[in-house]
Amino acid sequence: MPLALPDLQAAFAAHVTGRDRADLVACIVGDTISADARLRIYRHHVSHSLSAALAATFPTVQALVGEGFFRTLAWGFMAQTLPGQPVLAEYGAEFPAFVAADEPARDLPYLADIAWLDWALNVVFHSPEGRRLAAADLAGIAAERLPLLSISLPEGASLIRSRYPIDRIWNASQPGASADTVDLGAGRTDLLVLRRGDDAAFIVLDAGEGAFVAALAEGMSLETAAEKGMSAEPAFDLSTAFARLLTLKAFAASQHNLEG
Amino acid sequence: MSAVAGIGLRALHLAEIARDQPATGFLEIHAENYLGASPARAAIERLRESYTFSIHAVGLSLGSADGLDEHHLARVAGLVKRLEPDYVSDHLSWSVHGGRYFNDLLPLPYTEEVLDVVVRNVGRLQEALGRQVSIENPSCYLAFAHSTLTEPEFLAELARRSGCGLLLDINNIVVTAHNLRLDPNGWLSGLPGEAITEYHLAGHAVNDCDGEPILIDDHGSCVGPEAWALFDAAIRRYGVRPTLIEWDTDIPALSVLLDEAAKADRTIATAGPDAARAA
Repeated sequence: MPLALPDLQAAFAAHVTGRDRADLVACIVGDTISADARLRIYRHHVSHSLSAALAATFPTVQALVGEGFFRTLAWGFMAQTLPGQPVLAEYGAEFPAFVAADEPARDLPYLADIAWLDWALNVVFHSPEGRRLAAADLAGIAAERLPLLSISLPEGASLIRSRYPIDRIWNASQPGASADTVDLGAGRTDLLVLRRGDDAAFIVLDAGEGAFVAALAEGMSLETAAEKGMSAEPAFDLSTAFARLLTLKAFAASQHNLEG
Repeated sequence: MSAVAGIGLRALHLAEIARDQPATGFLEIHAENYLGASPARAAIERLRESYTFSIHAVGLSLGSADGLDEHHLARVAGLVKRLEPDYVSDHLSWSVHGGRYFNDLLPLPYTEEVLDVVVRNVGRLQEALGRQVSIENPSCYLAFAHSTLTEPEFLAELARRSGCGLLLDINNIVVTAHNLRLDPNGWLSGLPGEAITEYHLAGHAVNDCDGEPILIDDHGSCVGPEAWALFDAAIRRYGVRPTLIEWDTDIPALSVLLDEAAKADRTIATAGPDAARAA
């Protein structure tokens, strides 16, 4: 009994994701190559091509764990989450949380943070660069209004806060990097991930800057964010940190920013 | 003669093409790789001043019984509007079911029921883009026992009822014919020539399946001798059309793709008088 197209596609979707469907197999012409073997070609291609797409989005995770273990992670993830749409660069938002919860991956406690970093770099690469806030943009704003300004991050930019020195782990995992060991006890890192020209890049922040940028990203005013910076790092100095971040083009020049 | 054959533009070659601007008939991109505001899309938009473009979608899932994903359709339409390509295409296949995307060109039974679905989806696509699109024959690894039409019959009827063009992938004919025990020349002979808008050429791999060779459309090598012979037959029968060299895995140096395109141009030149009469 042939399946109507909606039923056939439901059965095919189940079959290629690992659940054998005898009603589908019965619809397919088998000869010296069986219907099962013919269907396996599609099942194999779906899993391998999606695993390759995840590897392209999470290259540092793969470099750290190797291709074999990465494929195991990817297949476990795919069993839970398939792409919801056809743009593969947008597949994998839930992968870092999956890595964090994965039992075998817990031997590498920093791996989930590296996955967050890979994802953040991917997101920002596909976001417009946008105009960035410059000191000149602030020149016309009255001094008493400056502390009340909200400053936002560029579109697609994000802050990654890790207990591990993930900037050093990331650098040591790049193709051609020297094989220096990274001291996992070197302490926490805050990274601001953003588009810089044609590349996705990150800026390493100190503890005060990290708390400051996190507060700004949550929509707090410059004044409140500075207080957060100081409570994280007593030596935090607003004018020094703000000037450095402006030089690094770390903020968006949105109308909202300038209107306070 | 000027170049007719173009090449698939891959991220690996983007900087080199932007710098050297090699002569080629046209550049084809995969729509789904350029929907975000990446530096790569900005580079493509700059190249638009020097090159004719083709946008080849792989994820519209024109065979889905569910209909098209309107969000994805709107994004592809946005790219088409930005780039104003000469050609737009996708495949006779499906890849989405129940809101999940399988990243493969999955096969369809060729029946009146499925024809209605594909005609409706292609009609919706052409309406959203405000233009004709071309539909490509997929590479097949299986056939459905309840198909009542051959693939060429299905494509001919799809073109007649929807007004779409046909993108003839020569390598896919070789792959499908081998895997489904069909005669590639017989497959080729039954098409409405006036609907054909573009040819694709690529290489394939040979894998083992149940102890027998099966051809896999991996786009990872030079165009094989069978595909060159069938391409020659196609242009003699239907005439010259824009022709693309596709390469997606183990991507070689740009010069290798340009050499393959030059070989396609030589094939076209050799077939010259016959192909011109056919056109």
